[in-house]
Amino acid sequence: MIRPCILFTLFFSFYMSADALYEFESLEDEKRFYNLIKEVRCPKCTSGSLASSNAPVSEDLKQKIIELIKKGKTDKEIKDFLTSRFGNDVLYNPGFNQNTYFLWFAPVLFLIMGLMMFVIRKNK
Amino acid sequence: MKIILRAILITLPILFFTFFYLYINEDKYYPGADFRKFEMPIFKINSLYDESNISNNDLKGAYLVNVWASWCITCRVEHGFLSKLSNEGIPIIGLNYKDKKDDAISWITKFGDPYELIIHDLKGELALDMGVTGAPETFLLHNGNVIAQYRGEVNKMIWNDVFMPIIEKEEIFNND
Amino acid sequence: MLIEVAHYLSILATGLFFLCFLFAFILSAKDIFVINLVSRVYTHGFLFLLISFLIYVWLAINDNFNVLYIAQHSNTNLPTFYKISSIWSAHEGSMFLWIVFLCLWGVIFNLFTKNIQDLKAKSLGVISFVAVGFLLFLLLTSNPFLTILPIAPENGADINPVLQDPALAIHPPILYLGYVGFVIAFAHAIAFLVNGDPSIKWESLVRTWSISSWSLLTVGIALGSWWAYYELGWGGYWFWDPVENVALMPWLAATAFVHSLSVSIKSSLLRVWTILLSIIVFSLSLFGAFIVRSGIIDSVHSFANDPERGLYLLGFIAILIVISTILFSFRLSILASKRNIASFSKESFISINNIIFGTLIFSTMLGVLYPLIYEYLYDQKISVGAPFYNAIFIPLTLIAGVFLFFSIDSKWQRSVKIINFLSPMSVSLLIAGASLFLVNYFLAINDYWILLSVFVGILILVRYMFVIYEYLFKRKYSNPYSIIAHLGLSILIISIAFNSEFSSERALNIRMNESDTYRGYDIKFDDLRLEKSSNYDAVIASFILNGSDGRNFILKPEKRKYFARGQITTETAIKISPLKDIYMTIGDQLDDGSWIVNIQLNYFIRWIWFSAIMMAFAGLMLACSLVRGKR
Repeated sequence: MIRPCILFTLFFSFYMSADALYEFESLEDEKRFYNLIKEVRCPKCTSGSLASSNAPVSEDLKQKIIELIKKGKTDKEIKDFLTSRFGNDVLYNPGFNQNTYFLWFAPVLFLIMGLMMFVIRKNK
Repeated sequence: MKIILRAILITLPILFFTFFYLYINEDKYYPGADFRKFEMPIFKINSLYDESNISNNDLKGAYLVNVWASWCITCRVEHGFLSKLSNEGIPIIGLNYKDKKDDAISWITKFGDPYELIIHDLKGELALDMGVTGAPETFLLHNGNVIAQYRGEVNKMIWNDVFMPIIEKEEIFNND
Repeated sequence: MLIEVAHYLSILATGLFFLCFLFAFILSAKDIFVINLVSRVYTHGFLFLLISFLIYVWLAINDNFNVLYIAQHSNTNLPTFYKISSIWSAHEGSMFLWIVFLCLWGVIFNLFTKNIQDLKAKSLGVISFVAVGFLLFLLLTSNPFLTILPIAPENGADINPVLQDPALAIHPPILYLGYVGFVIAFAHAIAFLVNGDPSIKWESLVRTWSISSWSLLTVGIALGSWWAYYELGWGGYWFWDPVENVALMPWLAATAFVHSLSVSIKSSLLRVWTILLSIIVFSLSLFGAFIVRSGIIDSVHSFANDPERGLYLLGFIAILIVISTILFSFRLSILASKRNIASFSKESFISINNIIFGTLIFSTMLGVLYPLIYEYLYDQKISVGAPFYNAIFIPLTLIAGVFLFFSIDSKWQRSVKIINFLSPMSVSLLIAGASLFLVNYFLAINDYWILLSVFVGILILVRYMFVIYEYLFKRKYSNPYSIIAHLGLSILIISIAFNSEFSSERALNIRMNESDTYRGYDIKFDDLRLEKSSNYDAVIASFILNGSDGRNFILKPEKRKYFARGQITTETAIKISPLKDIYMTIGDQLDDGSWIVNIQLNYFIRWIWFSAIMMAFAGLMLACSLVRGKR
């Protein structure tokens, strides 16, 4: 078994293997983790979430998120942690604030206007 | 009524395409540049050379923090320009990122040390706290706040276009 | 040199298509001589283009590295299949394929319709115009015929290993066929608008072409989703990636379009919607091509960032769309129907469907463009991803589903009283309601949206069971294609809901010859070996899984290191079963010798693609029946 192990480490000679275990205190925590990493963008990749990325910084962020979950931080606190370091665009949720009202409300308005026009034209 | 509808139908696509035209032609900032301000995280990490600790207290005033590593090829390219900056009196703190101590020290010995101090961030913890995604990255700090950062190799063009405007505006490095 | 012949043929084709366009629009289309001329010129143009393309394929198969593009994207070590597929692996070649397919639809249309058919000449003219625009784009900014002279390199560059995959190789051609197929509808719409005679039933002329394009588009998108699932290693099937969204929008428009088309054909209603949608579908296809090739949106799909190409494409597409909207707005009056849509008739439901789909398209476009607009206005970056799209798509799809349910009882061109006790409709409501409680109680589902989705899905499913029963045993006619496609939709909704609710994953840590358990599966790390292949080294891990149901099987995930670029990929190992997929990948080895092993249970995921195939199948069957009907 020793020879294959050496072969494998040669195979995988990255600069530093960043992988560590994903250990959780509860099923809840584990579920939270897997949901969170889908919503966080990989800061280094052209596009894609942490869940879909193997990049070193992705792995680091995943470990950090696990650490924060263990420390009892809420989802919001974890997200704030990330945005303060990587910017708002690290979250796939654009947020609900005065700059994004248009994004969230426009579809609703569009639908309502469309349905209104439908009703008006039918009753002509 | 019909004329209004007609007008809307025709102008909407035109506006749409004009937006794209402007967007494509816009002189975009370097995509690697970011001017988000944030506080330098509190840290206490070993120096690269010895067992002494470096912390926020050791860094006062204005300086650059440059993230580098011996495994980072682009850092080798950037090194020459950093040495030049250092010679001009710009204080640069090195952040050695996820690098084995020996590899880093050999690299620095071989290519020269442009840094005032080098922080040995083996696990990349401080880097993560600063929003680092890889090497090389360079941060401009003033009074404990990051006021500019650049992801990628800093050369004369980037220095002039990304960092100098802020340096001149905030009049940093004037006291040196 | 052959490549120069191919190059020249493409230039000739451009010239011929341009002539075709001129003849179609300058000469009188009422003259049969003119129509014959236009038809013949078009076919000749296509022949030149086809030969040009076939020569190109020949050169790729024969490793002609004098051709720059082939040298950049192909390699002597590739199997022939991948040498061919390398042609569409990057911008220039895939653009070439796109244009060939565009003209292919045109030539099939040309050969299989009589020259005396309404609007034929002008439609060919429009297709030619589009072809010329894109051919000029190809030849002037993205020339696949560039050469390396005088000496060809020994071997080409190695292609990205991720692209050496059968599903990924056929995903672009099928997708392109789907997109460009809508040029037929678009061309007819423009020809109709230019012609100006409202009595011409252009809608009937494009039905077969549109339905088959829609089916191909459905398959193409499903293929992409399926590939991403087994190849990318993290078990997702849809990522709301900007380029996926840009592929989804034409599909949404196409779905609305084929429904609206039926209404316009059957009742001559919604003609304005139908024409508008035909312009929108093709415009969105073109817009998609623009977004992907201009590089203005970051995505794993984008081709190289090149503003010059972006500007050219933008300009040409702008011309096409603006001319279309000008024509449309000026001819609105001749299209508007004098009759009203009866309340609660099928037409009214499809009309509402158009509005809902319109909202979906608008929202997707907004989501894709918002980061650009935001950056332009506020100089800051934001991301718009799954949270936004899910929030919009889930409620709207469910609303559309509910309308679909009620529409099943509706009739063409008249109102019927649809609320009736003891009708299939009310029984379906009861059954769906009951299953809601069952699902909540036995499967412990508490999430409101999941419950609602299951409710709507079962509602439609059960209602169609009644329809099928009445069709088979009471001889009550119903459109079988509609049944199959909508059943597919209901299965899609239910599958997505269950997949979202039940799927789970974990990163285990196992040493050789040891086991761990996950959700009733005992997982034993049985073997680890190194294997060499022609262009990569692989580490293959073997796991023996024992289920609590007594079944056991072996899964062998791998990690590969490709020689040429040193790229490392993870290959998933999947055990497929009707209810779920068991999905494994290996992570890294830790310092203590143990390995990180990822295991996922993905429920109902096969059903998601199955439902897409059902819908595409229904479309294909309908197209076949239309073709047979014409004979």
